[in-house]
Amino acid sequence: MALIDVVNLSKAFGPKVVLSNVNLQVQEGESLVVLGGSGTGKTVLLRNIMGLLTPDSGHVAIEGKIIAQLSRKELFKVRQSIGMCFQMAALFDSMTVFENVAFGLRRHLEITEDEVQARVEECLSLVGMKGTDKLKPAELSGGMKRRVGFARAIALKPKILLFDEPTTGLDPVMTDVIGRVILDLKHELGVTTITITHDLKSAFEIADRIALLFRGECIACEPPAAFKVNPHPVIQQFLRGDADGPFLQDPPPPKRRTQEAHP
Amino acid sequence: MVLTFIDKTGASVLSALDTAGDFATLAGRTFAAIFKRPFDGKNLLNQFQAVGVHSLPVVILTSVAVSMVFAVQLAFGFRQFQAEGLASQVEGLAIVRELGPVITGLMLSGRIGSAMAAELGTMQVTEQIDALECLATDPIHYLFVPRFLAAIVVVPLLTVVSIYVGFWGGYMILVGVEGQSAYVYGHEFYKLLAFRDLRIALYKAFVFGMIISLVGCWRGYRTQGGAEGVGNAPTSSVVTSSLWILISDFFLTKLLLV
Repeated sequence: MALIDVVNLSKAFGPKVVLSNVNLQVQEGESLVVLGGSGTGKTVLLRNIMGLLTPDSGHVAIEGKIIAQLSRKELFKVRQSIGMCFQMAALFDSMTVFENVAFGLRRHLEITEDEVQARVEECLSLVGMKGTDKLKPAELSGGMKRRVGFARAIALKPKILLFDEPTTGLDPVMTDVIGRVILDLKHELGVTTITITHDLKSAFEIADRIALLFRGECIACEPPAAFKVNPHPVIQQFLRGDADGPFLQDPPPPKRRTQEAHP
Repeated sequence: MVLTFIDKTGASVLSALDTAGDFATLAGRTFAAIFKRPFDGKNLLNQFQAVGVHSLPVVILTSVAVSMVFAVQLAFGFRQFQAEGLASQVEGLAIVRELGPVITGLMLSGRIGSAMAAELGTMQVTEQIDALECLATDPIHYLFVPRFLAAIVVVPLLTVVSIYVGFWGGYMILVGVEGQSAYVYGHEFYKLLAFRDLRIALYKAFVFGMIISLVGCWRGYRTQGGAEGVGNAPTSSVVTSSLWILISDFFLTKLLLV
């Protein structure tokens, strides 16, 4: 049985169909990377997995439990086994880094403050953020915020980690740092991960399988080597990063010829 | 044209019912979450400080100002009938029964209701409320309940402060300016009042505290649309809660004075 089972998942907002009959299975310990253009429903997929949205049809099951059918209490129990890393980190801005990472520990585990302290330090050092515990989120850079978000997500030792565009808006060096942190977390914690990203370099490093969402449908879900040579024109266009092709609904204006440099 | 009118009216009625239903659901979830565990004492104390201690100056200032203006008007009005002695009696009646709770309620809807809406609205658009959900924490229990409890305790307490300050505001005008005897003012202020009047004022303040906190949290929780939405949430919270404070004041007065 797959740890995460997405079955015929469809979701629309008004007339706009965002996900249409998406099927994905993620096995325990596996790392799935979901690629796709902006607005193709990647984040909506993660929100359905977390139970933040209810599917119009189809379902998401975690360890065989159908998320949409759970009571609030049961849903919260399942959520304790999932760590969600938000696109813009979503840190609690009235709390320090320490309080952010300690939040889940204090609420759900009956452990002493010393044990909380030790676990927070352990999580912060896993993401390379040791010594920042007294800072407020406003004092952190974008990359640092996301790493603190990772630390908060792993604090309760979840079985599943979901990363929502963890590198969007970061410089290439920080993108690489985040990619390495995700890889480290995957190897050290042995968790099952779903990562949504636009960064192909880290996608190929992290992924056991890569899925591509295109206009709400999952058009491929295969290991990186097979994905790279998949002849589907949309996949090849996405990998090339070219504006010309079937990927965009509205064709872009023709490419201007760059002015030749003065001799 | 008639069909269009009926169509629009029907849509407005449905939308209003939808909004009322949403508010009632969240209010019900708040009541149900009050006794749920874990109890977060630190969060509750923070709210007592934000709602209570920080609101003290604004309540004192407005209560002094309103009671002084009211005393000036009463002194002027009763002078027309050579009945200046009645001014302090009516001042006492007005401050304890109406001005104390209503002014406190209206000022707090502007101060704490709007702050709640802005804070929760910002948390909503920056995905912090989703983060709470993902950390297996009920936002209603974590965000609504402490604010609600703080408001229903603090608004009655601040109403007592407002009444006390209102007494001295009237004193400054009627004794200090109009030259009434301090002993007579102190005696006459309470002449038309019974303990029941203070109890009614506290009941009203309790209901106003519920309205302010629930409307503020609800408007913030339902914020959509980024910066514009966050900007609209406090405005809408203040307008809605002020309106409901005035409407409920009328019905509470009718009900409790019987």
